[in-house]
Amino acid sequence: MGQARLQYSSGTSIIRVPDPVLFPEAFYMRAFEKGVDGIIVMSSGSDCPYEGAYKRLSERIARVYELMREKGIDRSRLKLTTICTVCKAAFLKEIKEMQDNLAKQAAGAK
Amino acid sequence: MTCDALVVGAGIAGLQASLDLADQGKRVLLVERQPSIGGHMINLSKVFPTLDCASCITTPRMASVAHHPNIEMRTYTEVDRIEPVGDRFRARITQKPRFVDEGLCIGCKRCEEECVIYVPDEYDHALGCKKAISIPFTNAIPQLPVLDMDMCLLCGACAKACPTDAIDFRQQPITEEVEVGAVIVTTGYETTPMDAKKQYGGGVLPNVISPFQAERLLAPHGPYGGVMRPSDGKIPSSVAFVQCAGSRDASLGVPYCSRVCCMYAIKQAMLMSGSLPVADITIYYMDIRAFGKGYEQFYQNAKAMGIEFVKAKVAKISEDEEHGVKVRIERQDDGCRPEEVTHDLVVLSLGMVPAWVPSRDGIVPLEEETDRFLKTRSILTPSLTSMRGVFAAGTATGPKDIVDTIVEASAAALEVANYLESQLAGAAR
Amino acid sequence: MSRGPQVGVYVCHCGGNISDVVDVEKVAAELAKHPDVKVEKSYAFMCSDPGQQLIIEDIRSEGIDRVVVAACSPALHEQTFRSALQRAGLNPYLYENVNIREQVSWVHKGNHESATAKAIRLTRAGVEKVSRQDPLEAIRVNAEPRVCVIGAGVAGMRAALAAAKRGLPVTLIDKADRVGGHLLELDVVYPTGEKAADLIDELEHEIAGEDRIELLLDADVEGVDGYVGSFTVQVAARGEGADRREIKAGALIVATGFSHYEPHAGEFGYGQDVVPEVLTLPQFNSLLRGDAGDYLRVGGRDVRNVALIHCVGSRQTPGVHEPQPDGKVNDYCSRVCCTAAFHTVNRLLDRFPAVQVYEVYKDVRTYGRGHDELYEQASKKGVLFFRYDDEGLPVVVDGKLRVRDWLTWGEEVEIPVDLVVLVTGMMPGDASKLIGSMKLPAGADRFLQEVHPKLRPVELANNGVMIAGTAQGPMDVLESCAAAEAAAGKAAILLSRGSIELDPFVARVRAEECDGCEKCLGECEYKDALTMRTRPEGGPKLAVVNAALCVGCGACVAVCPTRAIDLAGWSLDQFDAMVDALVAEVV
Repeated sequence: MGQARLQYSSGTSIIRVPDPVLFPEAFYMRAFEKGVDGIIVMSSGSDCPYEGAYKRLSERIARVYELMREKGIDRSRLKLTTICTVCKAAFLKEIKEMQDNLAKQAAGAK
Repeated sequence: MTCDALVVGAGIAGLQASLDLADQGKRVLLVERQPSIGGHMINLSKVFPTLDCASCITTPRMASVAHHPNIEMRTYTEVDRIEPVGDRFRARITQKPRFVDEGLCIGCKRCEEECVIYVPDEYDHALGCKKAISIPFTNAIPQLPVLDMDMCLLCGACAKACPTDAIDFRQQPITEEVEVGAVIVTTGYETTPMDAKKQYGGGVLPNVISPFQAERLLAPHGPYGGVMRPSDGKIPSSVAFVQCAGSRDASLGVPYCSRVCCMYAIKQAMLMSGSLPVADITIYYMDIRAFGKGYEQFYQNAKAMGIEFVKAKVAKISEDEEHGVKVRIERQDDGCRPEEVTHDLVVLSLGMVPAWVPSRDGIVPLEEETDRFLKTRSILTPSLTSMRGVFAAGTATGPKDIVDTIVEASAAALEVANYLESQLAGAAR
Repeated sequence: MSRGPQVGVYVCHCGGNISDVVDVEKVAAELAKHPDVKVEKSYAFMCSDPGQQLIIEDIRSEGIDRVVVAACSPALHEQTFRSALQRAGLNPYLYENVNIREQVSWVHKGNHESATAKAIRLTRAGVEKVSRQDPLEAIRVNAEPRVCVIGAGVAGMRAALAAAKRGLPVTLIDKADRVGGHLLELDVVYPTGEKAADLIDELEHEIAGEDRIELLLDADVEGVDGYVGSFTVQVAARGEGADRREIKAGALIVATGFSHYEPHAGEFGYGQDVVPEVLTLPQFNSLLRGDAGDYLRVGGRDVRNVALIHCVGSRQTPGVHEPQPDGKVNDYCSRVCCTAAFHTVNRLLDRFPAVQVYEVYKDVRTYGRGHDELYEQASKKGVLFFRYDDEGLPVVVDGKLRVRDWLTWGEEVEIPVDLVVLVTGMMPGDASKLIGSMKLPAGADRFLQEVHPKLRPVELANNGVMIAGTAQGPMDVLESCAAAEAAAGKAAILLSRGSIELDPFVARVRAEECDGCEKCLGECEYKDALTMRTRPEGGPKLAVVNAALCVGCGACVAVCPTRAIDLAGWSLDQFDAMVDALVAEVV
């Protein structure tokens, strides 16, 4: 991504994780509470080397959506994707979509 | 310089063999003639049958090699000669000048930004261009630019822009003598020339392209940003693949099967189908050789996606006034009549020939088979060549796919490790 | 008196690459305000020797015990800096690499202010993570320096020899009473035409002469316990008064081979008392081998016309072909059969040139080196070819073979035949006890599934278990030997140092927080990685992690209600703190 010098918004930070299945529902909810506007989970999808992790991850995200719905947090603020670190176009697309979406929501709220 | 093993060629076979040897504590010198390691694999868009992104699976190997304490790399370097000296080998290698000081360069690309000359980009197989001084491609390792001296104006813009004064217009080739215990040849393949079969118009007709050009069109950050035909940028509504365009053809001197072309054409056809959802995609073939693990299923998926498979050996390719490509075939169904079909874009599925024939130019007298790839001694030990202490793996010993290449590379590393141990044991006695 | 973490923060200019966009001095100055940061510096090239020396000196003289380097991607220099810490006598895991080049200066060129603000946020997050980091040790498991090879066909024999020559003691096991596997059925092999018996003799002789190889024949593997570095293979000798043995090995190579596809009764006329006789290719090869006569005779009759039907038991379509007992058809290609068929036909025609051979095929897959030559030879010897597809399967009836042939534009063709040979494919050999005992992964085609076909083609997901030969999928002798040597090489890499070092990033349990609810156990897919133990002092059961079996995926972490279990080096507390740092305003 950076090696290709493709530009994206500085409001986006990347956190390196061993595998996204690690994070409980509470982590996502706490992040939203603390002021994170959008979360994109970039998983390896079916390429994930860990047995059963992707299935558990998607089930967990589904439960997080439920919790978000209860708290009135817009569902589109959390997205589960399958993107690897070298796939520049897909990465950029997801970030831009999320940023545009959040901007729209912020504008709508005013 | 002294090493345990010299590995010639840093494509995926060379990278794998080097890593396996280095992980066993052997000191490896990895020599590559291109400015970057990665071979052909780093040039591909996706690989069959999993459709993994080729860069995603090649770059980790490249990075591991670059960081391994037991591997010394020499890129942009040719092997001039390898000769047995007693129980070991002496090799002469020459590093070609990049005109950039490796020790000073930090990979900031200022030189590339300031350069005013554009040259055809080999990475994009001349579909695009790059600067006369540039890092070969985004994920290149090492991240060092190369100056194309033939196209350089010597204007000095790059030297002025460089923050560490790394440009050296007077850089000379550096020749080294190295002493090694064993050699692994992983020099890979080249495709058969585009213009080998005159009847196919390769290299003449603008909308008849090579499989590597197709890869670049399909790659996410390719030269056109999508699939367009070279003559006018039109988005093709009809694409065809011509199989055996450089194999199974005695008239070209390539009577053998190049093994991977069926699969790579099916892969490219599937990717084209994804990129051009309304286009018609046809593969003209002799046999569909989808023989490996997951390959038959991949082929059936392609059929289910609507890709048309037509059993027909293409006789002739020509073009109409708009550079539309006319393919002449004899249909084998429905009455066996000859037919001419027009497509917007045609990919010739070229075959494989060896990239390095070391017995020529007296580099090292390794025996070849009639197919000109290296001869191997026994089916029980597929990495042994005609010369003791010299091993080979990957497409240097014949066309094969990535999986078989990687397995052979690991096998060769094991044989070398055993060979080196037996040499030591022999010396100790 | 214990003091808090003493963090050293180093911000790299990267020769302008970072400092042209990010105000690195400002980043350092902002980080100085953090209570845990003792030292903050910026420097032109942190990865250079002088840059590394800066860190080493601060560790030695300033008492720095945690290090953050804000520079380029960890992919480039994480190892470099970890080694620097080690040289300074500090645990290498007390280090965090923050990427402010690929993730900031190279991608946010337009706005220097916001780029700098982001660099500050990321670096703060790095400090939060490393402050909460404990020293970690790579996990060392003893490596039993022995390889156990299961299966003594050509792949198993090759693997055993390759490993033994590497200096490893090997136990080679086979349930048959002799080595050789399916190679014993063959007369000559393609493409070289060498005698199979000679190949077996060569390998057998080498094995006998190799002191390091212990050969156990007539022996069944009942199961395997343990983990990489210390497997225990349960072996039972066959026959009356079965002897049991336990073999300790550091690595395993599974070379359990294949079995021939057995056509269903009636499949192309197989197994029915009809004329023509229908045999499989292996059966026909046996017959040819035994036959010494001048004329080809089968079942007491002269054979003048032989038809071979390709793709029997392979490339099957649900709904068209009868499935196996598990309900699935064999949709894969068996790779070797086209070449094997032509190889047999050429030898047949060399011995009995008067016989007319018909090959009924789908695609001719003579893909390998020297294979197309066999196809060409067969064609030159007068073989006639017919091409069929699943919509018009050949039918064998009344001394005839009927097929819709696409080489003659879909004509329905009838051929007189005295013998039909079904070119049958491969199915995996029986490794059910092994698979069951170790939960070895199999693919949809039932063959054992490698971790990743390209990145790790001869390793199974079970750490320490390699695979070689047709247990993995159809392949020929040359390919099996390459795989066998590759597998032996992987085993050698694993066992060469006497102990196996595993990444420390595994799950850890805080005993005082664990209330024995067992939710973590429910999430873990890795056999014996997590177990529940009774505490000696009584109370709730305790979750215990076997560091050698844990792969560090974190599935267990996500479900623990008391946060008692965490991944070393990647704890939830660390991530929560990082999130806080990332959302905080940069003033």
